[in-house]
Amino acid sequence: MKRMWRSSEKMSRVNIKRQNEHKNTGQHISKTHKNPNINSSPESDANIHFERVGFRYGREGEILSDVSFSLPPGSMTFIIGPSGAGKSTLLKLIYLHMRQSRGHITLFGRDTSQIERKEIPALKRRMGIVLQDFRLIDHLNVYENVALPLRVARSKREDYREDVLGLLKWVGLGSRAHALPPTLSGGEKQRAAIARAVITKPDILIADEPTGNVDADMGRRLIRLFSELNRLGTTTIIATHNTALIPEDANMLSIEHGQVKGNINGEQIG
Amino acid sequence: MVSKLADLNKQQLDLTAKMQPILPYDKKNDRPLFMVLVILAFLATLTLLATASGYRAAASWSHNLQGKLTVQIKPAIEGADSVNPGEAERAKTILSKLEPVALVTILPPEYSKSLLEPWLGDVALPEDLPLPILLDVRLHGGQTLDTKQVVAILSGVGIRADIDDHSQWDEEIKRTISAARVLSYLALGLIIIASIAASIFATRAGLTSQRRLMDVLHQVGAPPSYTARLLSTRFATSGFKAGGIGALAALLVSVFVGMMFSTSGGFSYFLPGLHLSLTDIYLGIAVPSVLALIIAATSWRTVIKTLYSEIYP
Repeated sequence: MKRMWRSSEKMSRVNIKRQNEHKNTGQHISKTHKNPNINSSPESDANIHFERVGFRYGREGEILSDVSFSLPPGSMTFIIGPSGAGKSTLLKLIYLHMRQSRGHITLFGRDTSQIERKEIPALKRRMGIVLQDFRLIDHLNVYENVALPLRVARSKREDYREDVLGLLKWVGLGSRAHALPPTLSGGEKQRAAIARAVITKPDILIADEPTGNVDADMGRRLIRLFSELNRLGTTTIIATHNTALIPEDANMLSIEHGQVKGNINGEQIG
Repeated sequence: MVSKLADLNKQQLDLTAKMQPILPYDKKNDRPLFMVLVILAFLATLTLLATASGYRAAASWSHNLQGKLTVQIKPAIEGADSVNPGEAERAKTILSKLEPVALVTILPPEYSKSLLEPWLGDVALPEDLPLPILLDVRLHGGQTLDTKQVVAILSGVGIRADIDDHSQWDEEIKRTISAARVLSYLALGLIIIASIAASIFATRAGLTSQRRLMDVLHQVGAPPSYTARLLSTRFATSGFKAGGIGALAALLVSVFVGMMFSTSGGFSYFLPGLHLSLTDIYLGIAVPSVLALIIAATSWRTVIKTLYSEIYP
């Protein structure tokens, strides 16, 4: 499996493009970042820092209240909690789908409240997102679905063709590259969604209930897949209500009644 | 659907094959917009052809009337039955001596009779019917004649005459063409507004039907401009095709109407008919291009506005 992934390490052109985006973002940070306490060095770029973050929809009560934690680059963290606890909301704040009502979130060395809307797509391209409903595009085959982020990034087809096929083999979909999503099983759909999320080698991988639509065996295989990706240096955050699938020594954040508690690298949160 | 998908699954992945477009073709939803755009392009082209043809006809009429006067010699005594032909000759001599005048022709009585045909019909007129004698006066190029002064000169030698320099008719033509031009602009304005409205409606419908795709594109980091380009290119292409069909149909209708008029011995003043000029062809080409541009710009703006208000935080 690793050997296959190493082949995708050859995605030099994609990576160079992404690194250039990083550099550009970094240049922007030095110009616009106003908080001297936030570390914006390249080493901590993929650090995710929440500081007394609160979130509410409209005038309703806070779904998240005074949430503070820090996820180091390259870490793998499970976010657990019952349905409706705010796991998805927390992830949406991280992947810039929503803005917090109060507090500070630091992502890629930037205070997210300072990020302009036009900058969001470039930052999103540094994140891989896997959602419970897969979000595959039905008229595109598996290969085309996985290649979508690269098409959007205007990479040349001949540059990524082998990388996509290599990754599909790695996630066990090598023989299903030509299949359309409606013909895939739940596990295949989820693996295709994961492949699409990681094809650009994102700095951060976010998965919201990735095992929610698959059986326990497939769930364990998917968690192993995420662990492999994390070992390659991707900061990985997985929200799940299925605690049985979580390794014992894993970092965990538990959300209940809008409060976050847990353990990150041995440090107690909350 | 399932069998179709199964067939597709059986196909080998041909890596050299063209990839599917990210935005799927939705013929069911695209067809109504296409039809509306064909009709709008047809109307726009017809309006432009009519305006251009009207201008040409008016310009031709005005040009034909320029430098021409008609002098009507009246009986020397009010109430007399006929005009003495000698007076016409005298008037011709006097008029010929005036500096701006190039040529004076005494028109035959048949010409005067032909002017009565619209009222009296094609019947033999009585010989003793009092008819005026008409003189056709041509001026040197760019020269004018003071008609009041000429009437005074002729009156001074005992010749009663009226002079028609066709200025009234020319003014009426110009007023009519001005009114037609305003109406054309109004019609074109309405057609453009209708195109914009149709484009906005279709873009919003497209965004709604492809909402899931929009979300996925946002998820994988596509900027709004990327998504807007997908939709606006699709709509602009559709607009260009529809515009081409509409414009071609309008040109064909114009030619058909021209053929009908020509077989009945008439002339279609407000359509070029069989006499399509280069301008008409250019207009036919311009309509689809302009329509595509309008649709591209409108759909682009609608997508950007919608994405920022609904999808991008």
